[in-house]
Amino acid sequence: MLNITALLESIRESPYRDNVVVAPHTGRLTFASDISLGQSVTGPTGLWKEKAGTLLAILERERNPKPITALEKGEICALHSELEGQFVQAGTAIATIRHMLTREEVEHIILQQTLHLFAAPERAKYYFIPEVDKKMHASDEPSVKVHPGMELFIMSRMKREVHLNYTGPAGIIYAVYFKHNENIDAGAPLVGICTSEQLPEIQEVIARIKTEWK
Amino acid sequence: MDKKAQLKAEVDRLLSLPLTEHVVLVANRGEIAMRIMRACHALGIGFAAIYTASDEHSGHVRLARELGGDNCLYCVSSYHDANELMSVADNFHCTAVHPGYGFFAEDFRFARRVTKRDRPMIFIGPSWKIIRELGDKINTKRLARSLGVPTVPGSDRPIYEEVEAERIAKSLFEFQVEQGVTHPLVLVKASAGGGGMGIEEVYDPDQFRQVFRRVSNYALRQFKDEGVLIEQRVKDFNHLEVQIVSDRSGKHPVHFGTRNCSIQSSGRQKRIEVAPGFVPDTLEYNFDAAKLLTNIVDYSLAMATKVGYDNVGTWEWIVTRTGEPFLMEVNTRIQVENGVSGCIARLPDHKQVNLISEQIRLGLGEPLGYTQAEIATEGVGLEYRIIAEDPQNNFTPWVGRIDQFTWEPAPWLTLLTHVPQKESYEIPTEFDPNLALAIIWGKDLEEAKQRGLRFLDSLKLQGENAQGQELKANIGFLRDNTTNLLRF
Repeated sequence: MLNITALLESIRESPYRDNVVVAPHTGRLTFASDISLGQSVTGPTGLWKEKAGTLLAILERERNPKPITALEKGEICALHSELEGQFVQAGTAIATIRHMLTREEVEHIILQQTLHLFAAPERAKYYFIPEVDKKMHASDEPSVKVHPGMELFIMSRMKREVHLNYTGPAGIIYAVYFKHNENIDAGAPLVGICTSEQLPEIQEVIARIKTEWK
Repeated sequence: MDKKAQLKAEVDRLLSLPLTEHVVLVANRGEIAMRIMRACHALGIGFAAIYTASDEHSGHVRLARELGGDNCLYCVSSYHDANELMSVADNFHCTAVHPGYGFFAEDFRFARRVTKRDRPMIFIGPSWKIIRELGDKINTKRLARSLGVPTVPGSDRPIYEEVEAERIAKSLFEFQVEQGVTHPLVLVKASAGGGGMGIEEVYDPDQFRQVFRRVSNYALRQFKDEGVLIEQRVKDFNHLEVQIVSDRSGKHPVHFGTRNCSIQSSGRQKRIEVAPGFVPDTLEYNFDAAKLLTNIVDYSLAMATKVGYDNVGTWEWIVTRTGEPFLMEVNTRIQVENGVSGCIARLPDHKQVNLISEQIRLGLGEPLGYTQAEIATEGVGLEYRIIAEDPQNNFTPWVGRIDQFTWEPAPWLTLLTHVPQKESYEIPTEFDPNLALAIIWGKDLEEAKQRGLRFLDSLKLQGENAQGQELKANIGFLRDNTTNLLRF
């Protein structure tokens, strides 16, 4: 059984994370006129997160202006204003946003320690096999059942694809930790599985975070 | 002057510049980027180089700094993003773009964009119209058939419909049975694929539909186009190539001989290449090999002349055991294995020929400067592709860290690699785990083979993966396949 109180305490000691905003590609950078150090920013909002976050800068490349917006709510704790008007390379740090963790994020952190994690065996891109992918898209609530030996993923590396079978306890896919077309490092979790015996424990974790995280 | 005329005038102006006034964007990575940089440097041409975050320890990044300084090097988000390349080219005031091989090398839209933008540049490769015409396997097949050049029986356009695909496959199975083939086979391949990827064989007509769906899905995931080609699978063949070179006039293409690329992995990717394609003076063949080589060279030149081919390119051929050639495809770019032809080629004032330098020089508008009669060949060249993979396990790529990579230098050996020798190197998973190319020259086939084996014996390649398992490489496979090179 997890010591949820201790986990929450350790998160409370530094209840934020610093997100470095980097140039997604090359281009000429212009900061938004109303951006300054210490300013509060918001992430995407709206029912489907369709409204972009606070505009931080514009990166112009091949006459295409790309708005760089805050992806999370927080406060600007570093701003590289010396890059104003400069041609920047991909990956150049533009600003840092200090984001205070939300209850859902704390839930996510603690659930990772509760669920059975199925990890990536190799650094590669991962996809659910088409049948599982369809089921995942079809339901909002976790409902896709897995069992040991079940063909679950396509592992794609260097254009070669191999099917990957699930190993671990039978249960339902409770959390998905990989994104389409992104490389996942060896050892990083791909999915979190909740067994039927674990379900009460998971429900308790969520209930306690709801009451204890303010 | 209208915009079109202005663009043409600007490209013509660029093509008339002296070589030393050009700046080339090296739009590639790894060993080919290194070869392009070295060739530019030797020709007195400036260059800009690119890399991605996962490639920051690659040898091409170090060489760019060494030859061009820190300013010529740009970190980009992806080698596949044309906007990134154009943005860097503009920032560094490049006049030309060299695509290397892979990535944008055979993308006619990219080549067209380079030459037709507001600040046009030269695309170092054939003109975009030629890439469009020949770069597509299907158009090539149609053109070849119109000139009487033999091609492999099968579809001459991408197939998307299952019913149509099954009809073609059925006719190919029946055709082979009529020809007396005891085990007919059909090949299903991604029409947008290349380099041997996305190809499967069908033995049983009842299995066809399943394979078609699998290849089609794979093609959609990897190449964003689910079209497939369906062809007769010609078994028991040698894979030959003809190296064509031409200047911007496109009027007098020449050839730099043939190559034999028959030693391949189970996924049909080349592992050893030899020039020339056959050695009829040394080995005996069941057919007139000298005549066959002449025929494929003549067919290739006829097609190059017909389309006004205006840079380097490779015509790829299948040759059956009875000596029948079939054109497979045309690669409208420099090939990985160009060095093996260059090492046996002789021009009046050159000991060897650097085909990448030739490609750059001709691409930037210089005239060819020699005729076919002045191109001679001497000896035999062979190239080993040293790859981190497990030949015993279907050539599965191996990923991990290289700790030691050394070899014994020799005057007959050229080793091209982006793997650093002085520090450990983590193989990026985004690309094929190609480690090096070793090009070996010998006065005849026997000497080339002996030297090849000597090189392989001297090679020290060690490393381990995240699980602490020892590095796997194809050295044993290369050694085993050296004995019977060019025998058919």
